[in-house]
Amino acid sequence: MKVLLPFHLNKVGAGFPSPATDCVEDDIDLNACLIKNVPSTFLIRVQGKSMNSIGIHDGDLLVVDRSLNPKNFSTVIANVNEELVVKTFIKEKDQSFLTSGSNRAEDKINLTESSEIFVWGVVTYTIHAL
Amino acid sequence: MRYSKNKIALVDCNSFYVSCERLFNPSIIRKPVIVLSSNDGCVISRSTEAKALDIKMGEPYFKVEKIVKKNDVKVFSSNYSLYGDISRRVMKTLKQFSPRIEIYSIDEAFLDLSSIKNEDLLECGNKIRKTVLKWTGIPTSIGIAVTKTLSKAANYVAKKEKSGIVNLINSKQIDEILSKININNVWGVGPQLTKFYIKNGIKTAYQLKNMHNSWIKKNTNVFGSRTVMELKGIPCTSLEIYQEKRKNCCVSRSFGRKVTKLEELDESITTHCLNAAEKIRSDNQTTKRITVFIRTSPFQKDKNYYANSKDIDLPIKTNDSIELVRQALIALRYIYREGYKYQKTGIILSKLNDSNIYKENLFSSINNEEKRKKLMKAIDYTNIKYGRQALSIAQAGLKKKWNIKKQHSSKIDTACFDFLPVVRIS
Repeated sequence: MKVLLPFHLNKVGAGFPSPATDCVEDDIDLNACLIKNVPSTFLIRVQGKSMNSIGIHDGDLLVVDRSLNPKNFSTVIANVNEELVVKTFIKEKDQSFLTSGSNRAEDKINLTESSEIFVWGVVTYTIHAL
Repeated sequence: MRYSKNKIALVDCNSFYVSCERLFNPSIIRKPVIVLSSNDGCVISRSTEAKALDIKMGEPYFKVEKIVKKNDVKVFSSNYSLYGDISRRVMKTLKQFSPRIEIYSIDEAFLDLSSIKNEDLLECGNKIRKTVLKWTGIPTSIGIAVTKTLSKAANYVAKKEKSGIVNLINSKQIDEILSKININNVWGVGPQLTKFYIKNGIKTAYQLKNMHNSWIKKNTNVFGSRTVMELKGIPCTSLEIYQEKRKNCCVSRSFGRKVTKLEELDESITTHCLNAAEKIRSDNQTTKRITVFIRTSPFQKDKNYYANSKDIDLPIKTNDSIELVRQALIALRYIYREGYKYQKTGIILSKLNDSNIYKENLFSSINNEEKRKKLMKAIDYTNIKYGRQALSIAQAGLKKKWNIKKQHSSKIDTACFDFLPVVRIS
């Protein structure tokens, strides 16, 4: 078994001890923070146009969790016309839609029970290089 | 009785490699798809649609090329880094359901479900299938029974059921199901044993189950009688939760093109040695014997077929890359013949042992062993940190013209930052 022990870096000095040494913490682990469910979470890269309304841009990295169920206005990866694309999931009374973020009526894709169109996973974070 | 409390589920991924390729490529869902072996040589995974076109498992690609063209079958080179990552995800998901799991192969695992009540087993199995599909995108089939052999049999039948799950525990249909399974599809019955059983009139799993113990004991070995006991519902093998250390280590590769020159064979054999040595070092093992083998393509008509191998028993146990390469190249010179177009080379390290039983040896050709051990450690450390083959030995060649051909690779790797899957915004 591996036992992790806190590692105290400062020397034992004669002066006033740093009060921070009592709070030894690990470094921040971004994987642990951004990935809640390891086996179901995939990193996926965005290519093409940007989706300014939700702040996703060409080249961004998406953290996508397949184990989550989409809520109203979730950003999702969906299979539309035999291709994986980024969409916004809209839930109305008894119907769900996918949109590209505009209000145009033709932008609505009905999520029926058909197996041709389905939600692949829910985007939980986007990582954008500046 | 104690053994009747055993509940073992065999979870098997359906057309695993094809399912992995479909995960990021919805355009090939519901279409015939095949995946080829590491050198685009043979068919190693088929979608249901491809099976329906009568494309057989293990068939050389050139033999099915006509069917492929005629029916627009989608063809993929194997992409093992992707399959490996998806496999790890599937196994991690399965561990949620039972910590006692034996990972049997890249796409199969035995799960201990003994803590589940009999009446809840089917529901549990369905939940496992649903969760693995949702989390990883991989469809599975599940067979549940009191022994590993029976759970394999249950799984074999489950693959053909729409429900994808068969539970043989307290099932009245056990015999009916076993009588539908041909003897060659029983787990642990290989081609030789199949021939022998058929000769003796045993054609199904059901017939084998009803053979008398004394007949089996007299006519087969301990593994043969184990299989029969397990078919009768008496567990003889437990789950191997902790993976046993390997006893052999084989690394082989087919060439991307035919190779004739000794120097190029040297390069490939050296590369195999480095990979194998690194593998056994990571398991703290040493080897006592190295085998080198080479062969031409068995499917080429114009030239004679040539295949040969050479064993070298090492003077002392070792896992030293440089020593192994030296010995392998000596072995290669015994079997290399000019004028052949070689298609495949490989090496096998056998008689593996734990390396801490390291004895000084008068006949060792490695001078200064401590120094060399440190060098190997440094190589392994550097290669883990900076990627495979950051440090190698020059003999392995730099260009590796002979390297694998992968004409149809999807080039996606969910575990590698540079080859992540891509989505579009539309």
